[in-house]
Amino acid sequence: MRRGWGALAFAAALTMTATPLTAQEKTGNKPGFTLAPGTVTIVLMRPEIAVGAQSTGGAYEPNADWTDQARENLGKALAEAQGQLGNRVVTYVEPVGQGAAVAHEYRALFTALADSVQTYQFFPGNRLPTKKRDDSFLWSIGSEVASLPGVQGADYALFVTTEDHYGSTGRKLLQVFAAAAVGVGVSAGVHKGYAGLIDLKTGDLVWLNADLAMGGDVRTPEGAAKRVAQLLEGFPGKPVEAPVTSAATKTAAR
Amino acid sequence: MNKFGNKFGNKFGIVAIGLGLIAAPVAAGNRLIVPGQPVAVAKSMLTVTPAVEWNKLGARPGRNSETWTFDGDALNDLTFYGGIEPERTLFREVSKRNKPLPRVKATMLVTDIPTLVENSYRIALDTPLFTVEGMEPMAFAGKPGIRFTYSFTRPNEDLPRKGEGRGAMIDGKLYLITFEAPRLHYFDAGVASFRQVADSAKL
Repeated sequence: MRRGWGALAFAAALTMTATPLTAQEKTGNKPGFTLAPGTVTIVLMRPEIAVGAQSTGGAYEPNADWTDQARENLGKALAEAQGQLGNRVVTYVEPVGQGAAVAHEYRALFTALADSVQTYQFFPGNRLPTKKRDDSFLWSIGSEVASLPGVQGADYALFVTTEDHYGSTGRKLLQVFAAAAVGVGVSAGVHKGYAGLIDLKTGDLVWLNADLAMGGDVRTPEGAAKRVAQLLEGFPGKPVEAPVTSAATKTAAR
Repeated sequence: MNKFGNKFGNKFGIVAIGLGLIAAPVAAGNRLIVPGQPVAVAKSMLTVTPAVEWNKLGARPGRNSETWTFDGDALNDLTFYGGIEPERTLFREVSKRNKPLPRVKATMLVTDIPTLVENSYRIALDTPLFTVEGMEPMAFAGKPGIRFTYSFTRPNEDLPRKGEGRGAMIDGKLYLITFEAPRLHYFDAGVASFRQVADSAKL
């Protein structure tokens, strides 16, 4: 038993040292962007939510029940939070027909954009040279978004994406085994969360929170509330409140 | 990671996952490509002269290739293939035994190039959603070549992408430059810069 705990501790230590995310930045602002409370209308897009299991080999297996639970829990948590963001936040009314498909495609584009910011801006060792300059937090989904049905009359759109892969028992065992026997850190689980604010006049990303290791089990109401609080931490124009996590976040734009 | 990097690790079990984790943080080294200066690409004699600045990614999709981007390869991806020799593949093999990638043949015609790209993508990306939209003759580095357009969607992602390729078979080797980006905003925003780079190609 002692050996077992030793292996576990070793695994935990290895996983912590092996992770490249320690230097990762988590928040970015477009240079010069500020938002005063009570001045704008923000449309909250339907969140993109995916929940599944991570197999022993690391492959993602979608789970429809978990995704439904997360959708309900995160929906409630977002509805509760949206009144406390300092500005008028309205829920996006999904258009019918082709408009719905375009809205869906824009949500996918936001996710790809946030993935890129995460990979090529927030991780300093992999930052693109053109994104290294001062005041270089310049990312956009294009000004064409202004013509998306249902966003007219709003100033900004808030996009939210979450993707959770809960490690299976086999994956967790592999994590311990790989660390103890091979000396390799294997991650168990993915808990990706992106919240980003898009200026609807330009399509520019003016604020982004992005983390691949978010807290809160989105399959439970309490966990979903914690996740939403973390997603919206530091939201522009939001009244100041106590920090949700103890870890200080760094800002990409300087 | 490169555009096909996510395919590795799922099939090879423990060892590949371990190796992937060790290798992942090392794949940095993105470099600035300055405008107005000829630059040799893809470890080959192929040179291009870009009119605007690009980022060259440290990660390569294959042995004789390199990728340039403005905002990351998921948003705009310009890839050079600099003389892929006969019996070589466009990308690193995903699973040589179970799903071997098609190989370049010295006898290929330029009209075979879009088919090679299509079959390589279908296997490397594991997607059934790939369509060659059109093709026409167009000189490449002063040699008879082809221009073709395509569209595809990666699995687990509802983001349709458009692509355009320019290539030729020169001395039995495949030279190819492709550009691909999401059809929303990014393709139209970047395709002119790609065409300028492709027009400037010299051997």
